[in-house]
Formats: sequence, structure tokens, C-alpha cells
Amino acid sequence: MTTTRRNILAGAALAASFALSPAFAQAPTEIELFFPVPVDGQLARDMAAMIKEFNEKNPSIKATPVYTGSYDETLIKTRAAMKAGKPPAAVIMSANFLLDLKIEGEIQAMDGLIKADGKTNDQFMGQFFDALHGNAVLDRQVYGVPFHNSTPLLYVNTDHLKEAGLDPDKLPANWEELVTTAKKLTKRDGDRVTRWGMMMPSNYDYGGWILQALTHSNGGQWFNVDYGGEVYYDTPSMLGALTFWSDLIAKHKVHPAGVQAGGAVSSAFLSGQASMMLLSTGSLTHIRTNAKFPYKVAFVPKNVKNEVPIGGASLVIPTGVEGERRKAAWTLINWMTSPEKSGWWSRATGYFAPNKAAYDMPEMKAFLAKNPDAGIAVSQLAVAKPWFATYKTVPVRKAIEDELAAVLSGKKTPKEALVAAQKGADEIMRPYVEQTALKLPTN
Amino acid sequence: MSATTMSTGVSTGEITPKLGYAATLLVAGLWMVPFLWMLVAAFNPESIGAGMASLVPSYIPTLANFREAWASADFPRYGLNTLVITLGILAVQIVTITLAGYAFARLEFPGRTLCFYLFLLQLMLAPVVLIVPNLTTIAKLGLYDSLLGVMAPYFASAFGTFLMRQAFRAIPRELEDAALIDGASVFQRIGFIYLPLAKPSLVAFSIVSVTAHWNEFLWPLMVINSPDLRPLTVGLASFTRGAEGAQAWGVIAAGTLLVSAPLLIAFALFQRAFVNSFVSSGIK
Repeated sequence: MTTTRRNILAGAALAASFALSPAFAQAPTEIELFFPVPVDGQLARDMAAMIKEFNEKNPSIKATPVYTGSYDETLIKTRAAMKAGKPPAAVIMSANFLLDLKIEGEIQAMDGLIKADGKTNDQFMGQFFDALHGNAVLDRQVYGVPFHNSTPLLYVNTDHLKEAGLDPDKLPANWEELVTTAKKLTKRDGDRVTRWGMMMPSNYDYGGWILQALTHSNGGQWFNVDYGGEVYYDTPSMLGALTFWSDLIAKHKVHPAGVQAGGAVSSAFLSGQASMMLLSTGSLTHIRTNAKFPYKVAFVPKNVKNEVPIGGASLVIPTGVEGERRKAAWTLINWMTSPEKSGWWSRATGYFAPNKAAYDMPEMKAFLAKNPDAGIAVSQLAVAKPWFATYKTVPVRKAIEDELAAVLSGKKTPKEALVAAQKGADEIMRPYVEQTALKLPTN
Repeated sequence: MSATTMSTGVSTGEITPKLGYAATLLVAGLWMVPFLWMLVAAFNPESIGAGMASLVPSYIPTLANFREAWASADFPRYGLNTLVITLGILAVQIVTITLAGYAFARLEFPGRTLCFYLFLLQLMLAPVVLIVPNLTTIAKLGLYDSLLGVMAPYFASAFGTFLMRQAFRAIPRELEDAALIDGASVFQRIGFIYLPLAKPSLVAFSIVSVTAHWNEFLWPLMVINSPDLRPLTVGLASFTRGAEGAQAWGVIAAGTLLVSAPLLIAFALFQRAFVNSFVSSGIK
């Protein structure tokens, strides 16, 4: 027994001396990058290629890309890995999870790293579009670096417009026009609908985002941008937005009932079974490569004003990542969000490049000249607002998404649904609210 | 495809063999639909289009989807990992459930019933709630990002223990007593009497275990970081799932077929043995 222990100790000492020797000091710093696959399989390969290039250019770092499922699964995996004491060095995280991660103390501010590079926070964030700051800068500290971002877009099959005798240059710009156009585009065979005028995705994660877009277009807000404990589910602007969606199904009969998954919506559009859809810019490349018909994209139609939420993901560094690994993660993050790389990723995916300078590069100019549709999303950024982010974003989002599903299947009225959603969300956020806004001095 | 035998409707209130057969065919037909669609879609040159949703192939079959799927992920390696995981878990499980089953079936010790019920309680827990504590334990044991880490939480199976206990209890005690008189040790009695007689239960459990771990996604996703250690399910998901984007159904169908093929082939080859084991183990 003692001999084995002695052996282990000797082995450890030997290992330690190796670690301190110069030969070992040159071993590359190993870091992991957790990434969700945001669009489709091609991107997993693109990501692998990108990290391979990074490793070749930075021999002192060995980064491993780790596929981590959907945005929600990436959050679960990151949290589980941190609790197990194995935080990844960097994560491509859904941009609206940052606030919750910050409240829980699970991600670190990058201010020190920015300062070490000789920049102020404002100078550093200045390279990214203004609309993205809300989901990255919290309490004036930088917690995330925008990597790929999106807004919802209206996609229209212009062949169908022509066929219905409508002007393909005049796309629906407001809700009124959207309904009249959708009615003309919907085709029926008796009671059976053979082609839907309009489709919107309503599966988990996607449904909340689309509903936020409708709420903003209706002049409303989803949440308190400055405080993580309030959402505005039971408000007139949200009621109008949800009623509009439910009317498209029940009253105008131009949108299929029930929950529609994002993939099903784009497949219906590509196969000509839906003439218009609201979908992320992140799908633009997929639609462009697969559409066998002319299509156009436009701003999300407004009721009160043109306004949409940001979507997509940012790069974060979890707490507990220190020393060389932290520096290496920072090098990787800066490299991935540089004008060249974010531009390249944007052209590969359809997401827009968060780095403004990407649009000054000759490749990007040539790309936009050839694909003007990619420019619409960028111009919509001027009217984009932060993505909803609260304490416990996922359950708070689920509280309304479950109700959204009930409304879309005709099981609840919009008003009932919003009252229930508000109650559910308030209950989830109560501990935080009591610890912050309701924690008052007693004497 | 199945309604052809639905001719004789006898109204005696009893289900005639013919009617039962027809009903089985009908249900089987329904269950086949997704699989058939996967087959049709996998060989479809058009990944998107009106013909995509059709169950009837209307094209010249192509292997392009398979080529794309094959190129998208390192299938041989992922397959090997999945094989190591499923068979590794099974090998350890067979030992643990046999011993535990024997203990609960034949050994007398205080608190045996309570102990057994505590064991069964594990069946009620959804595995998802155990992700964080399990992962913490795995990391402490130094098994994070290793195949052993994926396997470890499953080494003891409450379901398997229950199944083996039932099987052992059905075996007449006299057989064991006879061996005892001849001086057989505990392990000899288990090895030469109980195990051979409980074989159908073991086979039935093996099928359930292998299928479950072959298809598992979330736990391996949590434990594994290295691309080299991914099992098939995670490898498949890494190129077929989209968050905001859209899907290429043909490639997904081809990939899914590649992933499920080994299990399907195994089932087709050993079908009779499998069915027999379920019949004689009482699982129907």
C-alpha cells in the first residue's frame, strides 16, 4: 500500500517537473468551443474548417469545436459542465441567455481583457452594430461578443404573387396588406387548403421570437429591457399581436392551425405549399440554394411601427476559465468575430455579420451586389431591438410558448392565454424580484 | 396495403383469427409508414419539393443523399463508439443484474423487501433530473469526456434487476438445493442452474438495453466533448438538426437509415430468437 502511494507521489513529482520544464511550456493551450448547429449540417463542417484554420494560424492554441445540440441544449450542457467543474473555454450562446447567465454568475465580464488590449468598452463594442449591444453589454460591462445574428424576415414567393394578379414589386408592408395578400394567395379545393398564404414557425424557441416580432410591430415591448424581472405578456400590444396570429388561422383561414416547426415552414415554402412566411435571416442561404422559383424578402410587416427583435448568438467565456485558457479563448473570440471571419460565416449561413467592417470588405460588397436579399436584413437592423432576456429566460419563455400553442390550436382565446402566461412567468421570476425590486429596507 | 384481408366480419363477439390477423396487419402498416417514408426520402434525388411528402417513389433512385450523409460525419468511428457504449453497458449489466436479481430472489437478509422497493423507486425517476449530479460524479471520477463516463451511470439497472429477480423466483428451489447437496458454491449455482434457465429473460433485457442506449442522445451529448468519441446519435444530430434554419430531408433520412440500419439488420437476422425470448420471459 505504502509503496504504491509512494510511486504515485513520485509520478506526480515527475509530472510536475515536466510541466515546469521549458519543453512542456510550449505545449499548446487546449481549449474547447461549445457550438450549437444553427442552420444545417454544412455548417458543422464549416465550423470544423474554421477552427482548423484558427489552430494552424495559432500554433500555441489547440481549440476543439464541440457540437452541443440546440440553443437550449447548449445552455444545459454548459451549465452541467460548469457544475461538474469542467467549464468550456468559450461558448456560442443564444444571445438572450446572457442576462440569466450573468445573474447566476456563470459568465464573466470581458472588460479586463478588452482593457489589456488597450481599448475601452465603447471602442470595442463600437465595431458591432448598435442593435446588438443590448444583448451583449449588461450593466455597462461586456459579457458577450456578437458572432452571428439575425432578425425575422418576410419571405415571399413572387411567382405566386404574379399568378394571383398582384404586383411582385409591392410586398405587404403592413398587417392589412398582409391579410389581403395572404387571402389572395391561399388556394382551396373545397374545404381543403392546397396552398397557404402565410406561415410562421411556432415551435419552442422560435415561436416566442416570432411573437416578439409581432408584438414589436404592434408598438409593444416583450420585457423590461433594464430589469430582468418583468415581462409584459398581459398587455394590449401583446394581445393585439397574438390575436392577429390567431385571426390568420381562425378568421381569415390563411395560416395552418397548430404548432408549425421552423423546418416544416421552410419546407412548405420551398415546395410551394406556402406563399409567404416569416423566418429568420439565418435561413436565407438555405432558401437561396434550394428555391426553384423567384422569391423576395422584406421587412416584417408592421401594424404600428417597423420594429423587430435581434436573434442569433454571441460568444461568452464561462466563470472559472482563468489564466492561459482565458487568454486563448479571448484570442479565438477576437479571431472569429473579425471582419473577415464574421463576413465569411455570414455568407455561408445567411446570418448577418455583426462586425460592421465586414460590409466594407470587397468579398462582401460583391456578394451583396449579387444577392440583394442579404442586404434587407442589414437595413432592418436600424429598427431592431434587443431579444427578450429575463431571469430564467427559458422557463419564462416557455410559459408563453405553451399558451401560444394552445391559441394556435384553438383551445384558448388570446386573452385567456396571456393572463395565464403572465401568471406563470411572474411565478418563475418571483424569487429574483423579491431579492431585488421588492427587497426594501425595513427600518 | 393491408386492408385486403379485411373481408370476413363475423359478429359472434369473438375475434376470429382472421380478423385478428387483419387488425395486426393494419396496425403494422400504420407503424411502417414513417419507416417507408424514410426509405422513399433517402433515395429521393429531390430533397425539397412537392414529391418529398409522397410515400410512393416517383423518381430514379439515387445514392447522393447517402454520399452526402456519409461525408457529413465519421460514421465508422461513431458506429464503433456506439457499439462500445451499448455492448460495454450490456456486459457489465448482465453481471450486476444477475447477482442483484439472485440476491433479491433467493438470499434472506433483513430489510430485503425495503431494499428492493428502494431499487424499484429508481424506475420512477426521469433520467433528465439526474444530469447535473451524474455529471458531477462522472467528473470527480475523472471520466468526463470519456466513453466510460457515458456508460457508468447505467451499469446497474433497476429494470434488469427486477426482471432477473422474477425469472429466478420462477425457477424451482429444489434444483438449487440439489446442487447445494453436491457442494456447489453460490457462483456455481448461479452459473450452472439459474443463468441457463433464465436465458430468455436475459435476451429480452439485452434487446431493451441495447436499443435504449443505441438511441440515447442527451446524456452522451452532456458527457462527450471530443469529436472522436461521439456516438452515432450525436454525430447524426450534428449535421441534421437546425435551430433557425431549414432541413434537407433527403440527407436526414439517409443519415437516419445509416444509424438505424445495424439494429434493423440485427433484428431481422435474429428475429425468431428475439420473439421467442419475449414470449417465454413473459414480456409481450
